[in-house]
Amino acid sequence: MVYEAIAKLIAEHNDCDVSEITMDTTFQALGIDSLDTVELLMNLEDTIGREIELDQKVETVGDLVRFVEAKCQE
Amino acid sequence: MIKSKLCELLGITYPVFQGGMAWISDGHLAAAVSNGGGLGIIAAGNAPGAYVREQIQIAASLTKQPFGVNIMLLSPFADEVAKVVVEEKVAVVTTGAGNPSKYMKDWKDAGIRVIPVVPSVAMAKLMTRLGADALIAEGGESGGHIGELSTMVLVPQVCDVTDLPVLAAGGIADGRGVAAALMLGACGVQVGTRFLVAEECNIHPNYKEKILKANDLATITTGKRLGHPVRSLKTPLSRSLFQAEYSDISDEALEEMGVGKLALAARDGDLQNGCFLAGQVAGMVNRAQPAADIVRELCEQAEPLLKGASAWVK
Repeated sequence: MVYEAIAKLIAEHNDCDVSEITMDTTFQALGIDSLDTVELLMNLEDTIGREIELDQKVETVGDLVRFVEAKCQE
Repeated sequence: MIKSKLCELLGITYPVFQGGMAWISDGHLAAAVSNGGGLGIIAAGNAPGAYVREQIQIAASLTKQPFGVNIMLLSPFADEVAKVVVEEKVAVVTTGAGNPSKYMKDWKDAGIRVIPVVPSVAMAKLMTRLGADALIAEGGESGGHIGELSTMVLVPQVCDVTDLPVLAAGGIADGRGVAAALMLGACGVQVGTRFLVAEECNIHPNYKEKILKANDLATITTGKRLGHPVRSLKTPLSRSLFQAEYSDISDEALEEMGVGKLALAARDGDLQNGCFLAGQVAGMVNRAQPAADIVRELCEQAEPLLKGASAWVK
């Protein structure tokens, strides 16, 4: 569910198809920098209805998905 | 007299911050600005905690007014400096180049006013939520590390998403800029470049001369390819950095070309190899003055402009 939500937001952000985004895709390859990541997270919070504080580096979409899933279980 | 809620919040006379500029903003400059009624800010840059502590103590010995420390969050000494500002009971901390959330609680517990620099709306929202006391919306006209948006575009959008006091930074060097910033919704300004030529600014005379002689097109942006663009004066170094950026040189080698060059400019005045950080307003900075005069002039020039603004409404 988290993966789908993140992939959808990235696809909207980058004007690309959701199918182009996998767990292994890096943010660098997507042209998404740290400021874009903050924007994505703010939008993700609106989608999942809870606050997420990113306190570690994420390089791939999978890193972010796992981070958010872990936060949601806390 | 120009007054805003920022003055009450921080106990300062004028809503003017002197930007924290690495290798430049030391305890002497910060104290001079604070004695002039603005908020002087010591730049921690990439310096270790001991240096920052020394500069705080110098400033404290020269002024009874509040002053601040700018912490560059990418610095290898950021954790150390974050503790020093608590121990030394600094009034204000401004932050740049990242997210200060992990230090926020300690600073707030110590009674420090935390004022992050934000280059985007999302960062402004996040910092508001984390409990910042005010925000500095810094546009890409400024010198040093810069964001994508210009001040004119960034400031109103940041003001739209926060109830915190917002300072405008980037592209402000006189009362016209101050008046414009207030019209955009800001309630204060942060100025860097004009303070480079303040009499109390301890940089090399060559640096000051380059600022005083600069024209409107004197600055250049390099480092875009590396993801952290930097604005500085056009010099042999910045021109070669600019060219290298579009060559097949590796990112590592490109990064290496810029290492240590700020010190060469600020300390040694090395015109060939130094990186002279400056904002686009360098062309408007034509006179060396005491820091206190700069602070006062910025606000006094804005007064008649703001009073006269009603002339536009028929």
